[in-house]
Amino acid sequence: MIILEAQHLSHSYRIGGRDIRILDDVSLAVEAGEFLVIQGASGSGKSTLLSLLSGLDKPGSGRIRIDGRDITDLGEDDLAPIRNTAIGFVFQAYHLVPALTAIENVMFPAELRGDPAAAEKAAALVNRVGLADRRDNFPHQLSGGEKQRIAICRALINAPAVIFADEPTGNLDSASGQAILTLLREFQRERGATLVLVTHNPEIAATADRVLKLVDGRLRHELPHAA
Amino acid sequence: MSFPMLHKRFVARVIWQSRRQAAIFVLCTVLSLVTMVALAGFSESVRRAMMQDARRLHAGDVLVRANMPFSDGLQREISRLVEETAIEAARIHEFYSLVRAPRTGDTLLSQVKVVPPSYPFYGEVVLGSGQPLVRALRSGQAVVEPAVLERLDLRVGDALQVGRARLTIADTLLNEPDRPVDFFSLGPRVMVAAADLEALDLVQHGSRVWHSYRLRLPAPEMETSVVQRLRQAALAGQEIVEPARSAESRMTRFFDNLLFFLGLVGIFTLLLAGFGIQSALAALLKDQAPTIAIMRAVGATHRFIAIHYLGAVLLMAVVGTTGGLAGGMLLQWMLPALFAGLIPRGLGAAPTLPALLEGAALGMGVVGLFAFLPLYRLREVRPAATLRISETATRRGPAYLAALAAVGIFFAAMILWQIEDQRTGAWFVAGTGLLIGWLALCTRLILAGLRRLTTRRLILRQAVKGLFRPRNATAATIVTLAAALTLILAIVLVERNLDATFVQSYPDDAPNLFLLDIQPSQRAAIAAMLGPRAEFYPVVRARIASINGTPVDREEERRRRSDNLARTFNLTYRGDLLPDEVLTAGSALFRTDWPDEVVQVSMLERVRRLHPFQIGDRIVFRIQGVPLEAVVSSIRERTRDSLSPFFYFIFQEKDLAVAPQTLFAALRVPPEDIHRMQNRVAARFANISAIDATATARIFGRILRRLSAIVRFFTAFAVAAGLLIIVSAVLATRAARVRETVYFKILGAPRRFVARVFALENLIIGLLSGLLALIAAQAAAWLVCRRVLSIAYHPYPGIGLALLAATIVLVAAVGMAAARGILNERPESFLRRQDQGM
Repeated sequence: MIILEAQHLSHSYRIGGRDIRILDDVSLAVEAGEFLVIQGASGSGKSTLLSLLSGLDKPGSGRIRIDGRDITDLGEDDLAPIRNTAIGFVFQAYHLVPALTAIENVMFPAELRGDPAAAEKAAALVNRVGLADRRDNFPHQLSGGEKQRIAICRALINAPAVIFADEPTGNLDSASGQAILTLLREFQRERGATLVLVTHNPEIAATADRVLKLVDGRLRHELPHAA
Repeated sequence: MSFPMLHKRFVARVIWQSRRQAAIFVLCTVLSLVTMVALAGFSESVRRAMMQDARRLHAGDVLVRANMPFSDGLQREISRLVEETAIEAARIHEFYSLVRAPRTGDTLLSQVKVVPPSYPFYGEVVLGSGQPLVRALRSGQAVVEPAVLERLDLRVGDALQVGRARLTIADTLLNEPDRPVDFFSLGPRVMVAAADLEALDLVQHGSRVWHSYRLRLPAPEMETSVVQRLRQAALAGQEIVEPARSAESRMTRFFDNLLFFLGLVGIFTLLLAGFGIQSALAALLKDQAPTIAIMRAVGATHRFIAIHYLGAVLLMAVVGTTGGLAGGMLLQWMLPALFAGLIPRGLGAAPTLPALLEGAALGMGVVGLFAFLPLYRLREVRPAATLRISETATRRGPAYLAALAAVGIFFAAMILWQIEDQRTGAWFVAGTGLLIGWLALCTRLILAGLRRLTTRRLILRQAVKGLFRPRNATAATIVTLAAALTLILAIVLVERNLDATFVQSYPDDAPNLFLLDIQPSQRAAIAAMLGPRAEFYPVVRARIASINGTPVDREEERRRRSDNLARTFNLTYRGDLLPDEVLTAGSALFRTDWPDEVVQVSMLERVRRLHPFQIGDRIVFRIQGVPLEAVVSSIRERTRDSLSPFFYFIFQEKDLAVAPQTLFAALRVPPEDIHRMQNRVAARFANISAIDATATARIFGRILRRLSAIVRFFTAFAVAAGLLIIVSAVLATRAARVRETVYFKILGAPRRFVARVFALENLIIGLLSGLLALIAAQAAAWLVCRRVLSIAYHPYPGIGLALLAATIVLVAAVGMAAARGILNERPESFLRRQDQGM
């Protein structure tokens, strides 16, 4: 079953009076439960593609569907419930809310949804990632690896169908990076979620079910599923 | 070391990049100056006009006055001067009296002024017909203010009974040089020729009359010797001789007091605007932190950076100061309209160079004072900040304490410098310090409590978290707003309480008709007319000459802004306490164990505010020049606030019975009978003033509301400073708020949710500011009403709640307006900026 689909996506940015084309006629489809890596060099447009696929930005042209629903023309407030329940995000820079503690950051999406079990679910996730003793710490009191583990918990609390991860190990040392990747894969498999991960790292790409390679905004190769 | 070159374009770009913060900085600087410059200029203009036009305002070169008949010695000296030199003297009598329309029998309390043909020596009395006063006001005639005609239904040419004389109204009086139109007056003016003074038969022994002489000197250089000669002849402490240029009139004293108070409001605004300057500059420099960090990273010295940002601050300060001076002048130009009727006609307010220079220095000084700390903290921006996006809390080191101390010292010095009365200044400094200290403490405690608040309501929790955003200046905003609102609410509450006590709910049992200046010989007849309801009190007018052998320093006493020992007191005599009095010191009103020859006096507790009197203190009173030494035998306190007559000093009958005196009667009559009773008294006893206390209270209330409106006008600037701080706080936390908004949106929160969080955050700030102001204002107003004015206090919860609601709405509206752009922030553009290190 196709959970995420993009058709003929093109996108440009206007910088200093010039139109810079970032994506050019990109089409793709992602199966439910698949681990897809979008690989490319810096500036290839991979993060932009992730922004468009996840509804954080709108394409110049083309359509995007998540779980059968066309999100291309939805406004911010219509996108809000989709972001809250159908999508989970993990960023390279973590983007935890500085004023909230670790546990509060994790609980937040569930609370927004009005989930009465938000606290219990958050506690279980935080325990699972081994940060029970850091649950009341604020983001600035956590290490990079700890922050990313909390970010993963936050992305998973509402059991989304798709998890978007933008260079999730980019700010971490190799040991922490590996641990984060293992954690993401574990959760993805357990919950049957789709994981769309952006990276320039070929080692990470090698672990994916499928790899899409972006070069200058165009999809050049579709590599076969990893063994 | 070479001086780093100032890149002017860089300075301009800094200001342009952070234009919102720069605008708040400039607005706060403007605000800090507007009231100070306007008031300083206006005050100087009023004083200068009064000094330059002193001769006109006092209608003479030298003023001799007393509120008792002049002593023979002084009269002789004036006569000698007139005979020996070319000095001219005009003897003037002023008093309140009921004038009557013979046709209808209606009466009206009026302020009668009896003047000779030579009045005024300077200035002009403007009459309705346009003719000179000397031609209109002949013997047997009167000129009256239009209000007399309106209220007694009379016309020019009709008869008017003033005392025992029936005069013809010759003209209407539109303006007189030595009295503003609506100045505190219980009745309209009736001007009578001196030739008719005796025929009026109103000036009798002990009557309440303001006696004065206006002298015109043939040459200005005579002034010193004339004043000196007259002062030698005058009775010290009773008869006052002053050159016009330094004479203190009720008007100058009133303006001294009002402008002094408004000056304090101005200083208060200055302080609040200073916080705004500091907050806006901190926000601007926060905005510039990445630029500063990069400059540092590529090798810029702290000196280089400091000079450039100092340049930006100076440029903004100059723009703000110029705007402040312009705004101040504009406001100053509008002030005569605001004070219309309270100041002499035609009194213009022109800005003076010294006032402008003083304003400019003040503006730059305030900016320097409040900009110091944010500029000093520039050194805390590290090159590593280029790599970090998290907020770091600022440390409160010695520089913070030094800046705080400098602000405190600066304002204390400003207040003490502005006023001559050091005691009042010290009280104000202490009061302001106490208020701000209390507000800061409460804010801290409440915020600490809120920080620990656990609630399941997500929006409330997020809003509370938002209060503690780094650089949110929540505490400063609350303290500033609450301080400004306290001032406004306290003034409104005091005004309402005064109004309620004296105007609205005139007590049912309080006397409402007062008869002044009853001669002892008239007592029986008056008693027969008024019936048994009337109570009589003997009144002996006296001044205090010395206390325990130390003469009263009249100059010093007159400088006091409240009651003082230099004024004339009304003494009385009786043997018992009144029903609403209790003794607070002494075993009885008068001691039986003291020898008979000792003159005893019982004083009201309130007198102790003027001097720390004790039982046994010796006070020398001067009754029409005759000294009377009395020993304090007891001290009394009034048990309830009523409008019953009370006296500061009570003697035994044996000691005062033979002193020159009048009687004072007070009685309660049905309100509808007051006018009829006044008419009867005026018809039979022309010398007696029958005053309708409820009407007097209404006039008092009108003036009070007028003054309150003026004060509110100036206090509004302090509120504006508080609101600018809110805007500044939103700007200072813009980056953090944008980040929160984006994160909330990424995690699936709709715009509505973010808007609610921000709105609730502002509502909490408004609610806390309003509540703290409500408590502080109630306490301050209670203190003023009970301790200073000695009237009953009513808290008027409705007014307080209305102010609270208004504060919440205002704060929420301003906060949301400032955050509007933030709510529209799109997640993608924020994330891209983050990725690109912008």
